[in-house]
Amino acid sequence: MNESGHIVVQGIYKIFKKGRTDEVRAVDGVDFSIKKGELFGLLGPNGAGKTTLIKCISTLLIPDDGSVTVGGYDIYKESLEVRRHIGVLTGGERSLYWKLTPIENLRYFAALYGVPRKSVKNRIEFLLELMGLTDKATVRVEKLSSGMKQKLSLARVLVHDPPILLVDEPTLGLDPYFARFIRDFVKNELNRRLGKTILLTTHYMDEADELCERIAFMNRGKIEAMDTPVRLKQSMPQKQVLEIKCQGALDKGIFDGVREAASINVSHDDGLVYVRVNTDNPEVILSNIIELVREKAKIVSVRVTVPTLEDVFVHLTGASLKDG
Amino acid sequence: MNERGGGLSSRVFHYLRAINAENIKEWKIELTYKPDFIRQFLEPFVYLFPYFLYGFALLGGRYSEHLRSLTGIGDMVAYTFIGYLFIGFLNTACWAMGFSLRKEQWFGTLETIFVAPVPRWVYVAGMALHSTCHQGLIMLIQAVAITTFFAIVLQTSGIFLALSAVLLMLLGLYGLGIVVAGLTIALKQWWVVSEALSTLIVVVTPIAYPLAVLPFVLRKVAMFLPTTYGIIGVRHFLLGENLAVSLPTIFLRLSLILVVWLSFGMLVFLMMDRYGRKRGSLSVY
Amino acid sequence: MWVIIEEVRKSFRILLAYPVEVVFWIFSPLLWVIPLVFQGKALIGAFNSTSFGSLAGTDEFIPYVLIGAIVSTYMFSAVWSMGNSFRDETYYGTLEHILSAPVRPGYILIGKGLYNSILSTSFVIVQLLICVFIFGLNITLAKIFPIFLFLLLLIVGLYGIGFMAAALTLLIKEAHGMLHMFEYVLFLFSPIRYPVEVNPITKAISVFIPLTYALIALRGLLLNIEFNFWKNSIVLLAIDCTLLPLGLFVFRRIEKRTKTRGTLADY
Repeated sequence: MNESGHIVVQGIYKIFKKGRTDEVRAVDGVDFSIKKGELFGLLGPNGAGKTTLIKCISTLLIPDDGSVTVGGYDIYKESLEVRRHIGVLTGGERSLYWKLTPIENLRYFAALYGVPRKSVKNRIEFLLELMGLTDKATVRVEKLSSGMKQKLSLARVLVHDPPILLVDEPTLGLDPYFARFIRDFVKNELNRRLGKTILLTTHYMDEADELCERIAFMNRGKIEAMDTPVRLKQSMPQKQVLEIKCQGALDKGIFDGVREAASINVSHDDGLVYVRVNTDNPEVILSNIIELVREKAKIVSVRVTVPTLEDVFVHLTGASLKDG
Repeated sequence: MNERGGGLSSRVFHYLRAINAENIKEWKIELTYKPDFIRQFLEPFVYLFPYFLYGFALLGGRYSEHLRSLTGIGDMVAYTFIGYLFIGFLNTACWAMGFSLRKEQWFGTLETIFVAPVPRWVYVAGMALHSTCHQGLIMLIQAVAITTFFAIVLQTSGIFLALSAVLLMLLGLYGLGIVVAGLTIALKQWWVVSEALSTLIVVVTPIAYPLAVLPFVLRKVAMFLPTTYGIIGVRHFLLGENLAVSLPTIFLRLSLILVVWLSFGMLVFLMMDRYGRKRGSLSVY
Repeated sequence: MWVIIEEVRKSFRILLAYPVEVVFWIFSPLLWVIPLVFQGKALIGAFNSTSFGSLAGTDEFIPYVLIGAIVSTYMFSAVWSMGNSFRDETYYGTLEHILSAPVRPGYILIGKGLYNSILSTSFVIVQLLICVFIFGLNITLAKIFPIFLFLLLLIVGLYGIGFMAAALTLLIKEAHGMLHMFEYVLFLFSPIRYPVEVNPITKAISVFIPLTYALIALRGLLLNIEFNFWKNSIVLLAIDCTLLPLGLFVFRRIEKRTKTRGTLADY
């Protein structure tokens, strides 16, 4: 059992047929390995193949080619053992029985995971306490808020105390308060204190940057780069980013003529448009960029900053994390 | 949690526990829809009466000389009632078991339970257990009410053997149920298959008429169904229906059918499960 | 009007994506007659019964139940399809969009009802043709107009029942079973399989169900059984005039209630 905690993915392919001729290469030859106790992130836009990959690792899907071992167990030959050693948490709310209470849900999953009968009661009490759900223990899940449901989903994942966690977009659709709770819990409690090996997928750059020790950029089924967040950011040839925050409708195409920029990304957030230009000489292209932006939008602020993971992703793939 | 899943006995115990957890979960969910729960106990009566009324209209009473000459039982109500009472288990196979995975899909919990370390047929088996208990309870109430209302006298000495025949029939039907459950993974319109199968079984099973009135081909089809021998057997033990084949033959055929149906069911289910995981059609509907 | 046509078109497009279902709906009423034929044969030893004749006006029970099965297609369609249509929209996730569109839900319901009527009528025509060619049922040209008249009168009344069934699905989320029960009750108290005169209770309750009058008239026309044309058509018309507005009223009330309580898109 020395290998417990390892996830080793080698040459995995998953291709879905669409109609007679078309196909989608959801996972297109992926290799990586996760050390015991590591918090590893898969960062990529929607449709990059992250969820398909998680489904392959968790035995929900059979890959077309390649090999995966989880905790030393082969996903093809020892799928039950793989499932015994993992806990899978997905974003969204529907992974619990809404008509049952938290206790009833946890008791059901404890039986499915073969938690010894004697320890079920204590385990459930401990998990509800840990999640701050003790006072909601007998309230039907449908009456809980989205954040509480996600906390309960976390408790469900931990009911059999698995050494490996597959966490797929855990903060999807949560308000900032609960999203913060989930992030802190995953990092501090599950990874640092309990030493769980965690494979986390997300399309939130900040989430990956904050939580993960190593990150793999995934785009169109392939892994484009893999390293620690710091080294990924250091790998950018341009060490500065010119960021213009503005209001209006902007298209990336208007910057086609700008030669001095290594890459330009236009993204939208909270009704504002963010233009980020990777460059070594922000002062040289500043006036040119501002001129182009002013024709279409009202500038709110301009600043020079350092590259983020999003900039690295754009630089490597040409796609934005918000695409998809 | 890091050690392997233990020996055969601990694995069997784990699966049985999971099956029971599935059963309990279903009861709890069902009891949250209270009006629907009550309805399920009333419905069999509303369903059954048209068959009696049809018989009354044809006969002008409940006694049929022709039926007596064919089966040894002249009381149309008693004959029909026993048939429809026990065919209720067909619902377990075609609907409850068949519907089990689709229902999880609608709840959004299918993938969540599918990553648990138990084989996927365990969920269908849990549903079978639940539905059998549920259906058994409904049948018990129905049996008491109808026999009292229509003053039907059953041979109580035959109850044990009747239940044995029912048990074998039920196990055979589980095979059918697991086939349907498997098909739900691959077919969008699985319910048409389920409906067509249950209609065919209702037509050829001697529920309200003996096999003798069926055309030759349908009689042959009936030979492969657990319901045929189950209903004939149970009616023989409870009402004294004449048998065209000997009792040992009935039990032997029932046993053989259940082995074939269960094996076939598991085979189809495992194939469909694999197909679903290859195609990624598990969470699509 | 445009909304109604669009609703019909959309529903047909969805149905045509499931051809197996179409075949199933055409044959299912004919299939469930088969056990009744065998049951009759087992009880009587023949295909006619004088006892049945004294109640139904015809000794031959097979054509009697066959017509009952075919015409009951409309009832299933009204209760089942219309009742479940909003349930389906909840599953598709489109219910809230539909009910928040600037259109009266009544029009959408009429669209759904019209779709069901066209569909059921096509099924009934195919089933009747099967009966004419296979079972030798005799339909003369002169009978076609009155047949359609009674079918029309039946459909309108069933719309009202369908609207109430749709309202029930908005009210009780797990209405699937309730609709089944409702269907069985209508089955029990209408002369679909047997003349309701067989029992005083079924006879008493059947007078409130539009299917009763339509079946008396249609069997009268198809099997040459004597019946009162005017009485049956007027009573059906009166039922239509009651059920249709009642159905719409009930639906509107319940729709308003669910909107107030915010339970529209619940599962």
